[in-house]
Amino acid sequence: MKKLIRVLGVLVVLGIVALLAFIFVPVQRTGPATQLAADFKPAKGQGEYVMRAGDCLACHTTEGGKPFAGGRAIQSPMGAIWTTNITPDKETGIGNWTLDDFRAALYDGVTPNGTHLYPAMPYENYRKMSEEDIVALYDYFMNEVEPVSNKVEETKLAFPFNLRFGLRAWNWLAANYEPGFKPVQGQDEQFNRGKYLVEGAGHCAACHSPRNLFMAQDGIDDTSKAFLTGGEIDGYSAPDLRGNNSASQKWTTEQMAAYLSTARNAHSTATGEMMLVVRDSLQYMTKEDNMAIATYLKTISGGQLLKQAPPIEVTETEKMLTEAKADMPLGPRLYLDNCGGCHFVTGKGAPEIFPELDGNSLVTAKSPKGLISVILHGAELPSTADRPMKLRMQGYDNRLSDEEISALATFLREGWNNQAPAVSAADVKAVRDLPKH
Amino acid sequence: MRDVPGLPSRRTFLKASAASAAIAGIAAVPAKAEQKPEPVALTEYKPDCLTPSEWAFVMAAVARLIPSDGEGPGAIEARVPVFIDKQLAGDYGRAADWYMQGPHDAAASPLRGWQTPLNPLQIYQQAIPFFDAWCKTTHGKIFAELDAETQDKALTSLQKDEMKIAPELRDFFTILLANTKEGYFADPMYGGNHGMEAWKYIGFPGARGSYKEWVLKHNKPYPLGPVSISGERA
Repeated sequence: MKKLIRVLGVLVVLGIVALLAFIFVPVQRTGPATQLAADFKPAKGQGEYVMRAGDCLACHTTEGGKPFAGGRAIQSPMGAIWTTNITPDKETGIGNWTLDDFRAALYDGVTPNGTHLYPAMPYENYRKMSEEDIVALYDYFMNEVEPVSNKVEETKLAFPFNLRFGLRAWNWLAANYEPGFKPVQGQDEQFNRGKYLVEGAGHCAACHSPRNLFMAQDGIDDTSKAFLTGGEIDGYSAPDLRGNNSASQKWTTEQMAAYLSTARNAHSTATGEMMLVVRDSLQYMTKEDNMAIATYLKTISGGQLLKQAPPIEVTETEKMLTEAKADMPLGPRLYLDNCGGCHFVTGKGAPEIFPELDGNSLVTAKSPKGLISVILHGAELPSTADRPMKLRMQGYDNRLSDEEISALATFLREGWNNQAPAVSAADVKAVRDLPKH
Repeated sequence: MRDVPGLPSRRTFLKASAASAAIAGIAAVPAKAEQKPEPVALTEYKPDCLTPSEWAFVMAAVARLIPSDGEGPGAIEARVPVFIDKQLAGDYGRAADWYMQGPHDAAASPLRGWQTPLNPLQIYQQAIPFFDAWCKTTHGKIFAELDAETQDKALTSLQKDEMKIAPELRDFFTILLANTKEGYFADPMYGGNHGMEAWKYIGFPGARGSYKEWVLKHNKPYPLGPVSISGERA
């Protein structure tokens, strides 16, 4: 009996020691993935280009605020995560960070004092970045970004997520791979460049991959089956980029590259978060890089380029809309009254102007939130160098009731070749009641 | 949405009908006009700018210009008086975006356009008492109190300017008739063309974005009822 108590006592002590170690022993920081020559200097503009590829600006800047001064709230189910000031300001920014500090934030998600960053910062993906790009990015932030004194709000998540040391265990699961990028042997340079951008700085998987049980990205590269098969962000569905009927399969590589550069192509237009990604990040990528990304996506989707366009079939939906019978149901009637002028009875829209709704991933998304949001509030394409016009679709929140939008959205999700579940008026109300931002 | 016991829910209904329509092209349930609450009766309506006597005149005059008997809705059913009241209370009534600086020569040739220093609201405000006084002298009662036949006679006299109205007011009949037609055919968001009855009557399909499929369908009536700018269906 005494012995048992003694053993238990030792175990408790060991447990406490382990816990204290877990909390207080500093995290081992990852070093450079490759050793660069001592005289390595990033090319002019390389750092800014990496910043664009990583889209640092989008999260670390408030709407209308000073670049990189932080303070934007990233909404998470656990509460708001406030983005930090990453200008070289010495008091409130990262002016005192060394290259090793900077790399540790990108690779390990830790700040110089050992505080764990919340994985809203996609260090799971940035861990793929090459040392050259890390150095270029560090150089950019230290020498080209204006220091801004801006103390941002402290992130205070609900218990137990406020115990940041817990992320240490999370990191063992999520960001525990060899840092840096390994090109795939047997694939050409274009594929590997695309892979590097998608998996690394571009952090596409942060939205387009499902999350596993631990809320980590389900796989960080294409060796994982779930990688880029679609995810969810703030209740909106980010589409599958490699499965059957994914855009990567259906669109040509050139069309995908055009979408990335200009937010529009022969099939679709970018809305919501993806519109922001094009506006803030992808439009600044070179044509070659966007072609590389498109090539990579095309390859991992297994899609072959279609030799010729499939025959245009006249769908039952198109016939019904063309006949325009007076006793047609509410959904298609609302489509003719409100949508048909631009998206047409074919549901095909017009190339580079009006997205097609037949086969549109936003229309048939698992979550109807994105579709409802576009019907309610409209959408606007960003102005890009190649396509400067900010095409705008009006919102219908004043014109259509929740019941009407549910009938319309249900029609869109079942019309033409689409097959997606119906939308309820309660679904519409939930989106209508969201604060606008 | 709570379902009424014993009745199919509207949602299931819509879903089923949209699905069957999508699959079979058969439209099972018509998209009925929305159930909108009836607006306040014209007799209860509180005008934005017209006084009670002006309102009575407008009610009586538009009822003769587009009468309720015969084919189609009349100006009263289309709530034209509401349109005119709102129109006169707004930019049009105040000639807000017209050139209204002088010099004014109200007696100038009508070919020279709007010559009066008065805006449309002021013309209504000054012409109605003048015309009512003329009606009383000539026909024994103010316009609104005359019988329909005499009202028609009086309006004809007004149109022909038999009472020699002041040059500043000479456009009164012209704008009264024009405003009545506008109230009859304008989009219902401006107060007239109630229920899009006027559009339904003439077969105008309203503010739909495109009729591309119908361009080459000659001599075939367009089957759908109209839609208004604010999305109202009929």
